[in-house]
Amino acid sequence: MPREGYQEQLEDLREDVLYMSEVVHDRLQLGLDALETKDEDLAREVIDGDEEINQLYLDLERECVNLLALQQPVAGDLRFIAASFKIITDLERVADLAVNLGEYALEAEQDMYPDVDVQTIGEEVVEMNEQAMDAYAEEDTDLCYAIGDRDDEVDMMCQDASDTVMRNLIEREIDADTSEAEVESLMRDVSRLLLTVRDLERVGDHAVNIAARTLYMVDNDDALIY
Amino acid sequence: MTQDNVTDDRTDRSTIVSPEDAGNESETPDPSGESSLSRSIAAEGRDGERVGTAQTVLEARDLNVYYDDVQAIDDVSLAIPENRVTALIGPSGCGKSTFLRSINRMNDLIDAARIEGELLFRGKNVYDDDVDPVALRRKVGMVFQHPNPFPKSIYDNVAYGLRIQDDTENLDERVETALKRAALWDEVKDQLDESALDLSGGQQQRLCIARAIAVDPEVILMDEPASALDPIATSKIEDLIEELAEEYTVVIVTHNMQQAARISDRTAVFLTGGELVEYDDTETIFENPESQRVEDYITGKFG
Repeated sequence: MPREGYQEQLEDLREDVLYMSEVVHDRLQLGLDALETKDEDLAREVIDGDEEINQLYLDLERECVNLLALQQPVAGDLRFIAASFKIITDLERVADLAVNLGEYALEAEQDMYPDVDVQTIGEEVVEMNEQAMDAYAEEDTDLCYAIGDRDDEVDMMCQDASDTVMRNLIEREIDADTSEAEVESLMRDVSRLLLTVRDLERVGDHAVNIAARTLYMVDNDDALIY
Repeated sequence: MTQDNVTDDRTDRSTIVSPEDAGNESETPDPSGESSLSRSIAAEGRDGERVGTAQTVLEARDLNVYYDDVQAIDDVSLAIPENRVTALIGPSGCGKSTFLRSINRMNDLIDAARIEGELLFRGKNVYDDDVDPVALRRKVGMVFQHPNPFPKSIYDNVAYGLRIQDDTENLDERVETALKRAALWDEVKDQLDESALDLSGGQQQRLCIARAIAVDPEVILMDEPASALDPIATSKIEDLIEELAEEYTVVIVTHNMQQAARISDRTAVFLTGGELVEYDDTETIFENPESQRVEDYITGKFG
């Protein structure tokens, strides 16, 4: 097959994007673990590791731009590079959200709302992201659509979680015996919990973006792009 | 066509039918009206803007071209829209140049060439017996891979086609207009009497384009017009082609796929054996071609 060097570069890009996704998914899982265990070391590992992911992102961006500039890719090759270029942005943002989880873990002293199951939502969105990258690797369009459906469920879980927090807050009695410190701690916990839920919901959205770019890559289909 | 038959009536020049045949036609008009080229040209108004739904200027119908017993074009049908740039791409020997040359009957010059099917220009088959190839080539001009100016002055090169038609009214003005449309005027306006052979390659090619458009064609065929030029001269020709498409219909054969992607509105992909494999908007061909063979060709996986 002609253009062997070019074909190898395309293959390298595919492998590098998949490698970056593995690192990001590991980081996301660590962030969730840190949140659950309140393990400070784990949380710092996630936060400090972001530098490495940013560098991976920049390297991959350069790889894509070089291919575009030097090889003038067209058709399926062009769509593969364009999709990869977008997907690495989603991966980088997922890593940023994992950093947020690490920071929440450092701040949180206790679980004010044990009935809000952040971990179940977390497992769900980690799996969605893994599936999205499987779809990219295997060029599996059915899986792309399945991720779109799964995200609708995650959105509902997140809405329920936020509602639970707000309802609990409204029903909570604050009287003269409640200290100022307790009120402040409550406010911080509530906003942190709401942010956690929102961030996880966004992690799910990035999985949908990756699935959408994969659909474009495989079938030139923009069905999931909204 | 002899000089005696050339008249100064511009309406007559807009037809490709030989004058004697045109006369016969008026006695027995074609009920479809298709062969009355001057009428259809006037009705369509060549000065209109480039619109989304373009008229078809050229149409091949089941066209086959053979060189002796070798088939160079295999049953090709395609319609070329007005005021657009249509690119023909494909590997060497795929028939794209043969197709281009069959549009203005350049293959007539090759004894071994044999044509089947139809090639319609404004609805009239250019291979009909009553078509005058010289008149056809006036409406369908051609620019070749290597610039081929005559060993004459710049002015005489551009005026050449008009002079042999005895059509010398406002000659200075028409030479100037052609040179301006070919984006060469500013560079040569002070040296019109100097030899065309002293120009650079890129300037010579633009001069050949000026010479082609001086006789007011409708279609300009280009056979790899930039392949012998450096990148700067190439980009000037490419800019020029896009501008020319506002006035003319351009059909270009190019080996440079990126050039086809940059400048054409429609792209036809020919593959070995003179087969037209895919013909679509240029964006579609280069972003999402339907045919796997086209995909493999344009991404360089074969060829």
